Order: sequence, then C-alpha cells, then structure tokens
Amino acid sequence: MRKISPRALVGFVLATAAGAAAAHHSAALFYEVDGRTTVSGTVTEFRFANPHAILKFDVVGEDGAVQQWTAETTSPSILRRRGWSQQSFMPGEKVTLEGMPSIDGSYLMRITRAFREDGSEIGVPRGTDN
Amino acid sequence: MRGVAVLVLAAFAAPAAAQPPEGHGIAGFWNMGFGPMAPSRNPTPTEAELMSHFPEGTVVLTDTGLTEFPPGDYGGLAIHDALVEAAKDYDPESQTTVSLTCRPPGLIYSMQGPFPLEIFESRDIIVIKLEYFDLVRVIFMNETAHPDDWPASQTGHSFGRWDGETLVVHTASLSSGTLFNNGVDYSESVELIERFRLANANTLIVTQEFRDPGSFDGTAARVLSLTRGDDHVYPYDCDPAYGLALDGRQRPAASP
Repeated sequence: MRKISPRALVGFVLATAAGAAAAHHSAALFYEVDGRTTVSGTVTEFRFANPHAILKFDVVGEDGAVQQWTAETTSPSILRRRGWSQQSFMPGEKVTLEGMPSIDGSYLMRITRAFREDGSEIGVPRGTDN
Repeated sequence: MRGVAVLVLAAFAAPAAAQPPEGHGIAGFWNMGFGPMAPSRNPTPTEAELMSHFPEGTVVLTDTGLTEFPPGDYGGLAIHDALVEAAKDYDPESQTTVSLTCRPPGLIYSMQGPFPLEIFESRDIIVIKLEYFDLVRVIFMNETAHPDDWPASQTGHSFGRWDGETLVVHTASLSSGTLFNNGVDYSESVELIERFRLANANTLIVTQEFRDPGSFDGTAARVLSLTRGDDHVYPYDCDPAYGLALDGRQRPAASP
C-alpha cells in the first residue's frame, strides 16, 4: 500500500478529532491537531482499550520499504457508541485512515476517520447515532 | 379471615411506605454537551439563575467540555506564582507512562470533560458514576458536614441538600488533581460547591464553584450543560500499557 500525500480536510470533522483535543492525554502533545493526513496500509494489530485504542499497520513506502505505523483514536468508550469495537480492524485487512499527523514526523497519527478497502466507513459520525 | 387480609395488606403496605420519595428528575444518563457553554455564549435562564450564586469576583472559566487551555493559560485565574513557575517544566508526556496513564486527573476536571455520567437518586444518597476513569461519587443527603478525618481521595467526601429544585453539593477531602491539564494542580485544600438543576426534562445544568487557597486566589467556576441520553455509563477499564505503543513508534530513517 502507498502513503498518500498529506492534505487538509475541509467541512465536517468527526468528534474523534475534537474530543481528542480535550482528553487527559492531550492530542496536542503528539499531533498537529489542525493538520490532516491520509494513510493507507495493512492492519497488523488492534487494541481497543481506554484511554485510547491503538492500531498498528504496515505501509509500503515509495522506496518499497515497509513502514510500521501506529495510530490512536479517542476514547473507545465514546467510539463504541459510534459503532466501533475490537472487531473493527482485523489483522491483514487493508484500511485507509484520515487523521492528525504526528508533530515529530514519526509514523504516528491520530485517527479521525477510518475506511475499509471497499470505501465503507468504520463507525459513524458524531450526531448521527447519539 | 378479614383480620388476616388486613394483616397481609399491612405487610405489603409497610415496605412501600419505606421507599424513598419520588426523585427530582435528575436520575439517568447524561452526555456532556459538545457546543460552546456559558460564558462563551449567553447563559440560558437556568444557567443565569445558577450563576447568580457565584460570589462577586468569581472567575468563570471557558474551558468546559471540549475546550482546553494551552500551556500558560489559566483562564484569568490568579494561580500562585510558584505554581506558574513550576508549570514551565511540566512534561505532559509523563501522562502516558505506565504509572500515570490510568491515574484519574482529578474530580473537578473529570466532571467537566467530554464523557457521559449517570446519576442514581435515592433518599439518603445520590450516586454519580462517571464514565471517565470509572470514578464513582457518593453524595450523602443525610449529612450536613464533612468529617474531620475523611481521607483525601479522587472523589473526596460529598454531602448535599435540595434547595427547591436545585441540588447543592459540597465536596472536600479531594486529593490533588489537575486544574487545566496544563501543569498546575489544585491542592488538597480545594473545596467544591456544585449546583445541579434541570432546565427541562432532557437538559441538566451543573455549575462548579471552587476555591483552593493552596493553588489560586479567589473563586473559580464553570458552567456545564448536559443532555439526557438513553444509555448506561460503560466501564472505562483503563489500560496502563497504552503509552508503550507510542514509545515504540517508528521514525523514518535518517537521510544519508
């Protein structure tokens, strides 16, 4: 899979982004909270636990080397009400993630939206289910 | 036989008479509002009524809900100089260590965060269960003072009373916790007064009014607006290993 160039998202932003700004483990510590990037890769591990779920996935860079990425979410207890679960990501599954890029340039991001290979979105936007 | 019937009826009637009186309508599941809250917007009549109890000169903070003050910003509160100076060395990354990841950040901060809570109301106690870090508060409605020897804890000791349709809760014996998640903690001398009042069946307004001679001068306050939901608070079950995944993140190879 290939990393897509960072781009700004306009319009609707999920609460996963907004909520992160206020959490105890502040998103501003690791992420450009106003920035957005899109990354596609293959899931290797997913841990759906508070305070933040952790998704590990591999991305094949333009040089062919595998980049081992880490992505985190806002609180799983909030995401659970938006349709997320431990089964939201399975190892080997190809996904595309949108979110905040890391401040330090590491292969780390904060998920604001997540999509399966067929383009269907994982979970639902805030306000549509609660 | 008639005598037996009367006895049976009395036996059923007695427990019913001992049931707590019907509540004030605050029981249930409440979501913190996601929009701007007073005083960032004009207060609603219920909010204005509750805010009228704030002492003159109270600093009403604008970081309720999703908002968070950046480092060095204390919302106009007169934080003691020594704490402001110490906060310059605050390392927020320490929050993600195994030992601190699951330590609740403090009751006052937790109550205004973007997580739901659930209220259970009975005659002698009111229980508030926060989803955030599984905090559980017990408010003694049959007490009127804080015990002298109550140990400091994340939830402290709370007693309450109904002032008309407003629940007034006094809390003390809180262990220190973060004021703004940016490096300044309140001390164990902090005292909190909260007022809970329904604006309507589905909107609960809560005010926090707190003083802490150990960390700031004067009185601070917040106004919270919660919306009723049809749900229960979930277990938080914090995983202390969360930060380890961030520690091990890979970085791009250095350019030759």
